[in-house]
Amino acid sequence: MTYHFGRGRSRWLPYLLLLPGVIAYFVIALGPSMATTVYSFTDATGLPGAPVNWVGLDNYDEFLFLGQAARDNLNAVGRTLVFCFFVTTIQFTLGLLVAIILNQKLRGRNFFRTLYFMPVILGAVIQGLIWSLFLYPLGGPLAKFLAVFGARSEFLGAQPTEAFAWVIVVQIWANMGTTMIIFLAGLQTISKEYYEAASSDGANRWQVFANVTWPLLTPSVNTNLLLNVIGSLQAWQLFLVLLGYRNGTQVLGYLIYATGFGQTSGSVTSSFRQGYAAAASIIMFILVLVIGMSVQYVLRRREARILE
Amino acid sequence: MRKTVLLSVVALLVLSVALIQPAVAQTTTLRVLVHQNPPMVEFMEAFNQQFQERHPEIVVDMSVVNAGDLSTVTQTRLSANDIDVIDMFGFSNAAQPYMTDVDPPNWQQLIDAGLLMDITDQPFVANYDDATIRDAGTYNDKVYQINLGRVSYSGIFYNQDLFTANNVIVPTTWSELVQACETFVAANIPCMTAGGKDGWPIFVGAYGLIGSLYADQAGLVEGLWTGTITWNDEKALEMWSRMQIYTRDMIESGASGIAGDAAPGRFASGAVAMFPGGTWYAPAIESAEPEFEWGYIPFPGSENAEDNQYLFGKYDQGWAVAANTPNAEAAMTYLAEFSAPENYQLFVNAVGFIPTQPTAQLDTHLGEEVAPYLANFRVGYEQYWVAPRGVGQYANPWASYFQPFGTFDDPQALADTVQADLQSGLDVAGS
Repeated sequence: MTYHFGRGRSRWLPYLLLLPGVIAYFVIALGPSMATTVYSFTDATGLPGAPVNWVGLDNYDEFLFLGQAARDNLNAVGRTLVFCFFVTTIQFTLGLLVAIILNQKLRGRNFFRTLYFMPVILGAVIQGLIWSLFLYPLGGPLAKFLAVFGARSEFLGAQPTEAFAWVIVVQIWANMGTTMIIFLAGLQTISKEYYEAASSDGANRWQVFANVTWPLLTPSVNTNLLLNVIGSLQAWQLFLVLLGYRNGTQVLGYLIYATGFGQTSGSVTSSFRQGYAAAASIIMFILVLVIGMSVQYVLRRREARILE
Repeated sequence: MRKTVLLSVVALLVLSVALIQPAVAQTTTLRVLVHQNPPMVEFMEAFNQQFQERHPEIVVDMSVVNAGDLSTVTQTRLSANDIDVIDMFGFSNAAQPYMTDVDPPNWQQLIDAGLLMDITDQPFVANYDDATIRDAGTYNDKVYQINLGRVSYSGIFYNQDLFTANNVIVPTTWSELVQACETFVAANIPCMTAGGKDGWPIFVGAYGLIGSLYADQAGLVEGLWTGTITWNDEKALEMWSRMQIYTRDMIESGASGIAGDAAPGRFASGAVAMFPGGTWYAPAIESAEPEFEWGYIPFPGSENAEDNQYLFGKYDQGWAVAANTPNAEAAMTYLAEFSAPENYQLFVNAVGFIPTQPTAQLDTHLGEEVAPYLANFRVGYEQYWVAPRGVGQYANPWASYFQPFGTFDDPQALADTVQADLQSGLDVAGS
């Protein structure tokens, strides 16, 4: 269907109205993305005035194949996928569960909705500070609680696997509120008549959830899954704030940051390597794109099946 | 009449604004960037106050960032032409001729990009000793930085009262250090603390152990690059074994949660017997507990006491100026005033650096403690080290690879991993 805005100059009105948005998109999103792609084929340092040379695929070759560093990079990719899997699964499930509970007629539910959503509005630095204090191994609240049972832990300073697990916990705590709010909004769009009909048909709670709530929540499910997958694949700030650059814990997002801003080497003064970091960014972009599109494909097929 | 009065008032107001305006316009805001080091920040705040009183036409806007973020902030603010005077680290480890295909260190990249000002001809440069200007400020025969002091990071602070109360002698050999720790632990006193939350204090705390086994640190770096020394040979294995004892038995449990700038306070509280760390911690210890009695000794990493007489360290921070600053004159005034011998002496007293101005003295308690070893001061390994491309993440002599801070609990396995990770980069450089 074609919409007409009139004749003559009026025909151009929609394009004129779209122009600011398109310009903003080019300047803020597409432009830097294209520049990053070009950067990834250079030895750019990011310093104004420094020479920039075309190095072809050297940065990609180095990231994927050069020495033990390439092995470490691929381990970081693997760790990113593990992080994505656990964060997405747990955050999605918890968000749904909390949303269902807080959708009931409970006393103080607005208070609890605010409480669960509050971490979302805190920045990564504040989130990190809160958890660093909570997990302080020499007398922090959790250390004291464990001491009651004769147990102790180094928490964020523990073995990489445990430290990594704590970042998963904090990431979920920090973002579960968004998942919950999206589910809450979805739950509130479901008409009570469906529940009344199911109830009068004798459906139990599980049957109501499986046959009424879950199918009708499909748009919220799709949105949350995509947001959780993409958000966790790109996560890096909490790793910086909670763990710093520590062997065995880096994910791809943090690796890119550390490489681009000279925080990786054993030397006290490491180098600025933004061309190399740009190549790593493109690899992450491809990873997010492939996983994101696959998830979206599966979700769309599911949605189509439900609507049939 | 009323109209005339009103017009006169307005005219007077306009005139006042016009008269005040030039004075406001002449004020220069000098943007200074420093890293977080409480005694230094405290000194700089006092210095800036005095400086502004003497130079009312200059307003100092000082930003403080964590040490780990300094290079990032330097890069971004230099790129945005948003900084005038910069605090810089590590102006010493230039790539050596035997290092092939390495990325130059970031200070060298900044100079090559034309972002730092050549200050060779500034009169205040002459206030610093020639060796410092040459070794930690000069690149291609031009001076880009005045270095403000040397620090040792290879020593151990010790609690004199706890040593006396537990009849422990100040250790001069590795065996004596192990014995001392065993005595303290038996008395339910943690042997050592460290700011493990920041990561680096754990491995920097053991740099003295490397130094006591490899006295020639420049030679060590060249040997590693050329293959005459490996991180898994017999001597290195001895180092790794001792590092494991250091992380597992000497550092207190829970140290991984202590922030770097909180560790001096914990030591000064008297809760632990020793604190391996750099001389820059001394002012923080004194500030936390002025009556606390402490001493400072080189890390006794060798069984031979003669090998433990060296202090290893580095040239610490220095001032550099942004090449494109619109406030060059104010920046030079600032550095000239900072470099005046009387101000520099106050700075050294406050921060505890080993002076780089020949007229200055480290006349503090720390000065007394390090005086016997100053003739044996040597620049440390990590100031020479530039990693080849392609090295793995374990290609460093870091005690923090051991449990509980890392994953390794077998010195041989770690030694082989470190050497393999290093060799991988050396192979790339060789090819």
